[in-house]
Amino acid sequence: MITGSLLRRRSRMFVALLAVAVGATILSGLVTIYYDIPRQMGKEFRAYGANLIFVPSQNGSTISRIAVENASALIHGNMLGITPYRYESGKINEQPFMAAGTDMEGVKKTSPYWFVTGEWPTDDKSVLIGQKVADLIRLSTGSVFTFSGTDSAGTTFNRDYTVSGIVQTGGSEEEFIFMSIDELDNAMGTSNEIDVVECSVSAGEAELQNSADQINESVDGITARIVRRVAESEGTVLTKLQALVYLVTVVVLLLTMICVATTMMAVVIERRREIGLKKALGASNKSIIADFLGEGIFLGGCGGLLGSALGFAFAQAVSMNVFGRSISIQPLLIPITFVVSVAVTGIACMIPVKNAADVDPAIVLRGE
Amino acid sequence: MFWRMVKGALFRQKGKMLMIAVTIALGASLATAMLNVMLDVGDKVNQELKTYGANINVVPKETALLDDLYGVGEAGAPIKYLKESELGNIKTIFWAFNIVDFAPYLETNARLKLSDNEIKLVGTWFNHHLDLPTGEALNTGAINMKNWWDVSGDWLSDDDAGYAMIGSLLAAQNNISVDDVVLIETPTRAKELTVKGIFNSGSDEDEQIYVTLATAQDLSGQAGVVNRVEVSALTTPDNELSRRAAQNPKSLSIKEWETWYCTAYVSAICYQISEVITDSVAKPIRQVAESEGEILNKTQLLMLLITILSLVGSALGISNLVTANVMERSREIGLLKAIGADNAPVSFLILTEIFITGIVGGVGGYFMGLGFAQIIGQSVFGAAINIKPMVIPLVAVLLSIVILVGSIPSIRLLLSLRPAEVLHGR
Amino acid sequence: MNLLEIKDISKIYGSVAALQNVSLSVEQGEWLAIMGPSGSGKSTMMNIIGCMDKPTGGSVFLDGVDISKESAKNLTIMRRDKIGLIFQQFHLINYLTALENVMVAQYYHSLPDEKEALAALERVGLKDRAKHLPSQLSGGEQQRVCIARALINYPMLILADEPTGNLDETNEKIVLDILTQLHKEGSTIIVVTHDPEVADEAQRTVVLEHGRVARIVKGNNVKGADI
Repeated sequence: MITGSLLRRRSRMFVALLAVAVGATILSGLVTIYYDIPRQMGKEFRAYGANLIFVPSQNGSTISRIAVENASALIHGNMLGITPYRYESGKINEQPFMAAGTDMEGVKKTSPYWFVTGEWPTDDKSVLIGQKVADLIRLSTGSVFTFSGTDSAGTTFNRDYTVSGIVQTGGSEEEFIFMSIDELDNAMGTSNEIDVVECSVSAGEAELQNSADQINESVDGITARIVRRVAESEGTVLTKLQALVYLVTVVVLLLTMICVATTMMAVVIERRREIGLKKALGASNKSIIADFLGEGIFLGGCGGLLGSALGFAFAQAVSMNVFGRSISIQPLLIPITFVVSVAVTGIACMIPVKNAADVDPAIVLRGE
Repeated sequence: MFWRMVKGALFRQKGKMLMIAVTIALGASLATAMLNVMLDVGDKVNQELKTYGANINVVPKETALLDDLYGVGEAGAPIKYLKESELGNIKTIFWAFNIVDFAPYLETNARLKLSDNEIKLVGTWFNHHLDLPTGEALNTGAINMKNWWDVSGDWLSDDDAGYAMIGSLLAAQNNISVDDVVLIETPTRAKELTVKGIFNSGSDEDEQIYVTLATAQDLSGQAGVVNRVEVSALTTPDNELSRRAAQNPKSLSIKEWETWYCTAYVSAICYQISEVITDSVAKPIRQVAESEGEILNKTQLLMLLITILSLVGSALGISNLVTANVMERSREIGLLKAIGADNAPVSFLILTEIFITGIVGGVGGYFMGLGFAQIIGQSVFGAAINIKPMVIPLVAVLLSIVILVGSIPSIRLLLSLRPAEVLHGR
Repeated sequence: MNLLEIKDISKIYGSVAALQNVSLSVEQGEWLAIMGPSGSGKSTMMNIIGCMDKPTGGSVFLDGVDISKESAKNLTIMRRDKIGLIFQQFHLINYLTALENVMVAQYYHSLPDEKEALAALERVGLKDRAKHLPSQLSGGEQQRVCIARALINYPMLILADEPTGNLDETNEKIVLDILTQLHKEGSTIIVVTHDPEVADEAQRTVVLEHGRVARIVKGNNVKGADI
């Protein structure tokens, strides 16, 4: 009986179904985005660079590689990049400069904001130089220069390097020469002497603090410090963003629910004659309400299921467009969307059906 | 007669028309709220991102490398300074309104008598009151610029000449706590300072001492000058033009140059700052400037997509209801045709009715939407959302399209039916 | 010349023939009834005469114009200028008053004239109900508004489809009296009905069966006739 009436009134029901499905799409889509924002935006915020650094603890002057490995194993959250830095001084054309040995692939991840003119170095003999260094000794990409220094044994070395790129950051990085850490180790004759390790971790501030505390407690020779400026600000901005999407979701949801309700009401009101006829044929108010409610719930259910699928597709599309990553599904959202759709359509049907059922059938049938 | 019919339709079936008006109002309010929030979200998030601190660094031209940090500096190289008296000029540039805060720094090497350690002493403004040449006044300084500092004790104020703030690492190394007195020595002078606060910044600032600018100038013997200025400015994300300009502003054509100069690109603001401070170079701090642009773009795109979704949602809701309303009137349309009305006047009649309803709903919805936008603005950002007049035509056009899309196909369908079919209910 | 000249018309819906080779002519000032059981084709006939449908074959001349060949637009003009329609379901616009419902017909014909519309309502005895909405009127009153609307533009032909089908006896009489009066004043009237009482009032009754003219009865002999 219920499906029959749905099938016969296909077009009108299609309109109602569309309304419910749109509402459900918005519900599931926005809520998915809301839940995924910290994760997605968190990754974007990593553009600010390292939010956790390891420095040698009080008694040591450098960090060993083993300690770095031990420490990084203790970090909670998603480690996006970890970059060691070793600083040594030397001279070019008898002018003093600092050389930094590092891992170029790591730098790309922990300092994505570096602006490199030219190429990133691909071998040990090519280096990146800071803009200020380049200005000072008039080097450009492709130039070859000699870097001289004193190794750990006290002997002087002279090594030739090719400038593969020039770094601009607006910060103190512009005063350094960046080469691979292995090359610097070779030149200095010692390895395993890391001055600073930068980590970019996708995690909340509390989680970060936790990791840092744990490292400080259990790993010798390393002090882990949170870069407060990055970590704290990230927290602030993320909270606001999530609050924004939350509020927008609530407003949009409220309005779409009302829209769904008005559409359902319009559909039901149109069928007042049918209600009158059923009453004239002897149907009780109760059975009329049950009929319509059954239809409403069926529609709500279909719309809800359709909407949760479409909503996920929408959230996925947004995520791919905005963040270039896929979104994580909230499985609980499917039953929630379903229940909310059924409830909203059910209630939206109830009001006009109840009103119509209370009306004298003669009036409904006669009134054109 | 036309208006009598319209009036009859609108006022004698209040229920139906009210429902359409309410739905349209809801849709319009949603559109208004979302569009206003979307258009303003850039500014708001930009403000929030200022918690990341400065995005522009102003230093003297041809400054020597900040080599003293690593102890490889060669003595004798003359250090250059910026004039403190010129700092107010920063607030007079073309994009002065976009300058949120700035703070000057004067750094000098000093010795902490307690441990005989070589340390870095930094003088700055904390909450400095500045009367601008334009007649405006401004309070700016490190309290705003370093808002991520975790301070135990108190921030300094700008007339706290005998006080200092100490970095947490330095304090820990020397067992200094709040209210202790430390003796600071520079090659030329010495001074006793009371520790007013200990700060944790999570960077190498934790090993430095911060004092007022006047104290630092006094200790270093450099009156009226600063080493560098950090500026926090609201900027527009970079694009191709601004990147080219950043490389070399002279490579732009006059028209491009004007566009660039009059857009709040970080490079344009830098350029303008270096114009007003003698012998200075202003550079974007890429870490902050670049990331801000990125996050701003993502947020705006995100809001745009959410806005589109909600607009599509309300559009479907409205056109659904309008279609339902028109379909319901099949008999009426059939009758009008049977008594000799042409298609055009019938369509016009129905469209007029729906549009009047739509205008009523739309105007109501617009103001409702402004309310929603303000609720969002106040509860999320604690600030009012700027109302963009541009939203009004946008919403009006959107509503008109939605109403037309909702009604025209159904009107055409009904008109294509022969009146006989409609009237006999076939 | 006859006002209406139907020549050998057919109307075929798919494989079903609603009308087959029907011919009929109606003179100016005549009162004709079309009778027949359901499915006999009387509604189709009425739709074709009323310019709301076109035959699949044959031709229909109304006032000298072959309406079977005219475009939809011209048919609309024909309806407006030459025909007054009275429906079984009344088809009043429910948000307009009785007076306004009459004026709608004037509006689409030429110019609405409130005095004239009021006069038309007075003619059907509804002057005091002019400001009422259809929902406030009884069935008979609604039908009289419908008649007033049909008369307002002085049509050449009044076409009534089961005008008394939804009415009780009292109202049926009132409506028939109005039609009689109109006929006396010279109006041409075609009534489609299945009620012999109504057909009896006509001068001539065409009886349709299975889409063909079964017979034509003159005068008020329908009730007794074998139909």
